[in-house]
Amino acid sequence: MPLSPQIERERDGAPTSPGNALASAPPLEPVAELRGKKSVTQRRGRLSARSGLIRIFCFFGLIVILLFGLNAMINSGLRRVTTSQFGVSNKIVQGKINADIVISGSSRALTHYDPRIIERITGWRTFNIGLNGSQTDMQLARLKAYLKHNKKPKLLVQNLDLYSFLTSHEIYEPAQYVPYLSEQSIYAGVRRVYPDAWKWKYLPLYGFAVEDMRFSWMMGLKALAGIQPREDHFDGYQPRDTSWTGDFEKFRANNRNGVVVKTEAQGLRDFKELLSLCARRGIPVLVVYSPEYYEMQAITRNRKEVLEKANQIAAHFGFPLWDYSESPISRDRSNFYNSQHLNRSGASAFSADFARRLVQAGLVGGQDRP
Amino acid sequence: MLFNSLEFAVFLPLVVGLYFCLPPRYRTPMLLIASCIFYMAFIPVYILILFVTITIDYIAGIYIERTNGPTRRAWLIGSIISTCAVLFVFKYFDFFTGNFVGLANLIGWQLPKPVVNIILPIGLSFHTFQSLSYVVEVYRGRQKPEYNFIIYATYVMFFPQLVAGPIERPQNLLHQFYEKHDFDYERVTAGLKRMAWGFFKKLVIADRLALYVNDVYADPRNFNGLQLSIATVFFAYQIYCDFSGYSDIAIGGAQILGFKLMENFKNPYHARSIPEFWRRWHISLSTWFRDYVYIPVGGSQSGIRRWLLAVMITFAVSGLWHGANWTYVAWGVLNGFYLLVGTATKGWRDRVFGLVGLHRETFLRQTIMLVSTFVLTLLGWIVFRARNMEDAWYVVTHFAQDWDFHQIGTEQFLLRQLPVAVACIILLEMAQLLHGKVSVPSLLNRLPIAPRWALYAGFVMLVVMFGIYQKTQFIYFQF
Repeated sequence: MPLSPQIERERDGAPTSPGNALASAPPLEPVAELRGKKSVTQRRGRLSARSGLIRIFCFFGLIVILLFGLNAMINSGLRRVTTSQFGVSNKIVQGKINADIVISGSSRALTHYDPRIIERITGWRTFNIGLNGSQTDMQLARLKAYLKHNKKPKLLVQNLDLYSFLTSHEIYEPAQYVPYLSEQSIYAGVRRVYPDAWKWKYLPLYGFAVEDMRFSWMMGLKALAGIQPREDHFDGYQPRDTSWTGDFEKFRANNRNGVVVKTEAQGLRDFKELLSLCARRGIPVLVVYSPEYYEMQAITRNRKEVLEKANQIAAHFGFPLWDYSESPISRDRSNFYNSQHLNRSGASAFSADFARRLVQAGLVGGQDRP
Repeated sequence: MLFNSLEFAVFLPLVVGLYFCLPPRYRTPMLLIASCIFYMAFIPVYILILFVTITIDYIAGIYIERTNGPTRRAWLIGSIISTCAVLFVFKYFDFFTGNFVGLANLIGWQLPKPVVNIILPIGLSFHTFQSLSYVVEVYRGRQKPEYNFIIYATYVMFFPQLVAGPIERPQNLLHQFYEKHDFDYERVTAGLKRMAWGFFKKLVIADRLALYVNDVYADPRNFNGLQLSIATVFFAYQIYCDFSGYSDIAIGGAQILGFKLMENFKNPYHARSIPEFWRRWHISLSTWFRDYVYIPVGGSQSGIRRWLLAVMITFAVSGLWHGANWTYVAWGVLNGFYLLVGTATKGWRDRVFGLVGLHRETFLRQTIMLVSTFVLTLLGWIVFRARNMEDAWYVVTHFAQDWDFHQIGTEQFLLRQLPVAVACIILLEMAQLLHGKVSVPSLLNRLPIAPRWALYAGFVMLVVMFGIYQKTQFIYFQF
């Protein structure tokens, strides 16, 4: 609002005062005249318009070619990545894992099981295909892709969390799936959660430019140039060198009456389908509830019911369930960075304990290697 | 329909193609239909509100011209009241009743607060003001009434500027619907370039900065002073790029069709004083308030007291126009206060600068003025953006405290976004500085076609790859 006297003076003397503007408006052309015979100038204008249109179409054609070209380059680059989460996915779809023990689950699986420790104690080749931000539906999709390209494991460890019986309501970090949408199981899994995911597959760059906030496409271009991202996944395991964040205290303060964890019928069906798939393929499954910080256990009001449900389903397929809720690891805050996730030292302690228990239970052969 | 949506990417080429293919007499009706489709993409039934206000002001315009004396005035007042009533019901009813009930409770009357859950029609304040300017201009005799209902309706509903301006005057826009617009390559490509620049501002800068600003201003008490400061500077650029980006897309889109809309922004953060800022910021609204509020209230021609009153009323109303919240009113009043104090201390400041040898055109003095204007503007944006006055006060009193350089990112805005955000702001400022000295489009036009197209294609790819596409509305849509 330029309201100084100066402005007002400017306005008063402005040549574009409304009256002047009206007076200076071009004379109105009668419509009939516009429809009359075209003059030479108009015909020239048409010609120039035509070539102009061709130029505009050519430019947008160039843009479309660039979009498709860049999309192909990024996808190709990401599929060449050998490190990070893309490295894990690439090993899965390239059939390069073929482990004896496969760990499956959400971020809790990803950060809790160190395959190097498990392998050293059990002597069985171990790999972690835990998927960050996933529910059982997307874990199942990844397991199917794994089984399609790799030999079946001697043991599948399916890690549970309180949210195992919920379905995904959004796709976490969509870019992690985009290069693998040609995999039928992954595409079907993603589309079940997000029907519009066809755009990721068929519209060039959509999955990277529109859905991804982490510039994953840069990683793809770098990989094409031979630059690999920093390795943060070791045989699929992602250690977290993080101390206690304090998020739990905020969570508890916001939920003074405790929390009730929901379950969904479809989530239960997904879990059953995962176990049924393994049963059909003759893969022994060990269902594990890995350590959860004990104070969180105390405020989850229906925790027992959820675990009981898991136990019943596992028992139905004849698979055991190991619950680490009462483990001393769960009672020591220094093992965690939040209520659900172990930090590196907590994960090391848990992995060693878990591997020894596997050997003791006779589920694997024990070959403690240095 | 949002400009930053796939739907619009299909809609615009279709409309442009149809517009140039149709015989001229069908073009305006086609534009009206297209504008209706554009508006109905939000909440279809709200088209009826527009129909009612358009019809009232259309009839009022005709009768204002045909009548004289009190009847003429009655038509004007009737039109203004009915148009403003729509605005009041949808935008301010809750605010005023809430405050009235609050006041009543203070003096012991226990009144229940009427609950009206109405969704604000998108862009209501913009097309209401455009409609109002038409009837006032007809009343003042500076505009002939429009007898063609289709043309008048298209003037109010013209889709490029329907939901967030620029708020056009009838003298600038109405006559353009009678003109024949041929397909002109230069004009169409100029419009496309303008739109591309607007998309860069909106998608790459504004929406990226919004991630940070939204996190911090959602609960400022969770963030340290450095984060509060960054969020405030980011908001200044967010709101500028969001709104001027919208204006660029609107002006560019209209230009493709052959229409010339008024400019809405002229590098506002390059202003060296608050009055200059307001000559550069949201020009179509500033001039609207100048013409229809400030001058009628008294302007600067009726003595100092009247001027003070006119300034404060205009700025307070302008604040309220932005939203039914005391923060907006406070923002308006604060800017009015800046302007009054600035005018009152101008002579004193000149003398101080003169004493230290900083004459008007010296670089240092210009820089000091530019920075101080920007800082004052930032203080205003804090009040504008905060959810309430308590939050605003918290930000103002804490932004200089407890700077933690290890904690800069937020949940939504990962640290890797920061270099992109800062680089984009620098690119924006450099482009604006360069554009102030030479015409960038004509500079580019002089290049041979291969490097020129490479630059254009590179720019489009930059917008595609670095844009944020979360279907975020333009900030000013809510006003």
